[in-house]
Amino acid sequence: MSGADWLSYSLQDFVMFGPQVFLRLFVRINQDLWPWQLLAVVIAIFIPVLISRQNRAARRLAVGLMSLAWIVSGYGFLVGYFGPINWPAAWFGWAFVAQGALLAAAVFSGGVHDSRLAIGRLAVLWLLAVCVLPWLAMADSGQWEAVGLFGVAPGTTAAAGALALALVTRTWRWVYLPLLVLWSLFSAALLWVLQTWWLLVTPVATLLLVGAGFWLSPRTAQSPD
Amino acid sequence: MANQITRRKFLISSGLAGIALKAPMLFANTSGSTALSPTMRRIPGTDESIPAIGMGTWITFNVGGDEQLITQRTEVLKTFFELGGTVVDGSPMYGSAADVMGEALNALDGHDRIFAATKIWTGDESATRAEAARSSRRWGVDRFDLLQVHNLLGWQGHLETLKQMRANGEVRYIGITTSHGRRHREFAQIMEREPLDFVQLTYNVLDREVEDRLLPLAQERGIGVIVNRPFQGGSLFRRFQSEPLPDWAGEAGVGNWAEFFLKYIISHPAVTCAIPATSKVEHMKENMGAMYGTLPDASQRQRMAGYVRSL
Ligand SMILES: NC(=O)c1ccc[n+]([C@@H]2O[C@H](COP(=O)([O-])OP(=O)(O)OC[C@H]3O[C@@H](n4cnc5c(N)ncnc54)[C@H](OP(=O)(O)O)[C@@H]3O)[C@@H](O)[C@H]2O)c1
Repeated sequence: MSGADWLSYSLQDFVMFGPQVFLRLFVRINQDLWPWQLLAVVIAIFIPVLISRQNRAARRLAVGLMSLAWIVSGYGFLVGYFGPINWPAAWFGWAFVAQGALLAAAVFSGGVHDSRLAIGRLAVLWLLAVCVLPWLAMADSGQWEAVGLFGVAPGTTAAAGALALALVTRTWRWVYLPLLVLWSLFSAALLWVLQTWWLLVTPVATLLLVGAGFWLSPRTAQSPD
Repeated sequence: MANQITRRKFLISSGLAGIALKAPMLFANTSGSTALSPTMRRIPGTDESIPAIGMGTWITFNVGGDEQLITQRTEVLKTFFELGGTVVDGSPMYGSAADVMGEALNALDGHDRIFAATKIWTGDESATRAEAARSSRRWGVDRFDLLQVHNLLGWQGHLETLKQMRANGEVRYIGITTSHGRRHREFAQIMEREPLDFVQLTYNVLDREVEDRLLPLAQERGIGVIVNRPFQGGSLFRRFQSEPLPDWAGEAGVGNWAEFFLKYIISHPAVTCAIPATSKVEHMKENMGAMYGTLPDASQRQRMAGYVRSL
């Protein structure tokens, strides 16, 4: 294809589904999962409690639960529901599964540090992410069943999951980072084309939380890596 | 499809009669004509005619496994059939649209009513048959009426196989597609050299480049023309729907903007069929309305193009 040909394409040409179909993915997965998403809510609230215990085992359990959330939202929402209408979403789904596996590997190979953290800030940011972001899909769709929960919806999972950057050691942090950035850019472009303006807050929040994750992570000198 | 023509005509006319009884105003268009016969176009070089308005499936039929939306899209297809439509265009590129079309056709028992057109969309030039077979399984049709090389991707290899497939009766017609005005020079060269039945290209009241070369060439070479993006992907409505139709719209057989855009296209003598896409039953009814009543003549077409430019 010539350069001029490529210039004739717009972002719109690559999005092959409409906003109605996209927003219904949230409704459908919630209907199909019911009542198991309640467990996801409990886990989302429980994670900052675990982190606040300043105890290595609790912190590893918290990261382990985040790993599970990546895997479930990646395989469930992205591969299972989103993939059939959008191939890149399925690829991202598998990348989410890999990201979850990565966090699990960090848990089992000493990649979760036990240095002191600004727990209060971390907890507030976490709770903001898991309590506020889920309502955005609802705001765009007008249906409360579209709530995008942590561990179910990939956007909320990635946004809150960005805070794991503060919990893992330096090497793991850099391996964990690329998907967060790629996913944010991909979903921002998609939501822009779909004109789901409320949901567009999620990738922006994810990038801000990536920054927060680095900011809250212990200094290199303290990091055992 | 060809041997079903009598049955199809019967279904169309009985469907139309039913609709006309229920909604007599539908066909009483502003030009005063109450013609009940849809505008049909002959496929060049054959005795077969197809309705001048077909249906696209890009975006609109890609609803995945959403049963509620599959049911709703089935209603769209049902309306299309009831109003005399037959030509449906798809592509393996359109995500789940082929599976959704298959489900809708099953639900409506519509396999013998459809003129099924899809595309070959793979860079692997040896995979033509395999991709056609995969698509027929997804649509649930024995064979396609028309197979087109999507956006000229790997066209040399695909076209050779498609010619063999046509000769063997594995497909009835073959063609190539482009859109958004891309690669027109190469497209014209292929049209000049290859024995194509159809080309598919973008044409609408704003994107008129094809009037200069490709449409006259299709006429000269006896190639049918399927028009994609007749509403410029919907942006014609976004730009013009809030504007009034011209005073003389009725004289051109036009009662709403959908008819304005579509009648402009199908009144071009080289055009065989336009394939607007919609996800809504109401829009389908409007779009199919363009297939009934009078069509604008050459001077009215000029006025139509001038009018939208002036807005
Ligand atoms: N290279 C290729 O081979 C190629 C490229 C492009 C397209 N195509 C084919 O051509 C077909 C048509 O092109 P397209 O789908 O890109 O664009 P299009 O048909 O020009 O426009 C479709 C858009 O118009 C809206 N619409 C339809 N009827 C309407 C009405 N009566 N009132 C208001 N809005 C209406 C639809 O929204 P609603 O759903 O809300 O009605 C949809 O958003 C495609 O579906 C595809 O099959 C082929």
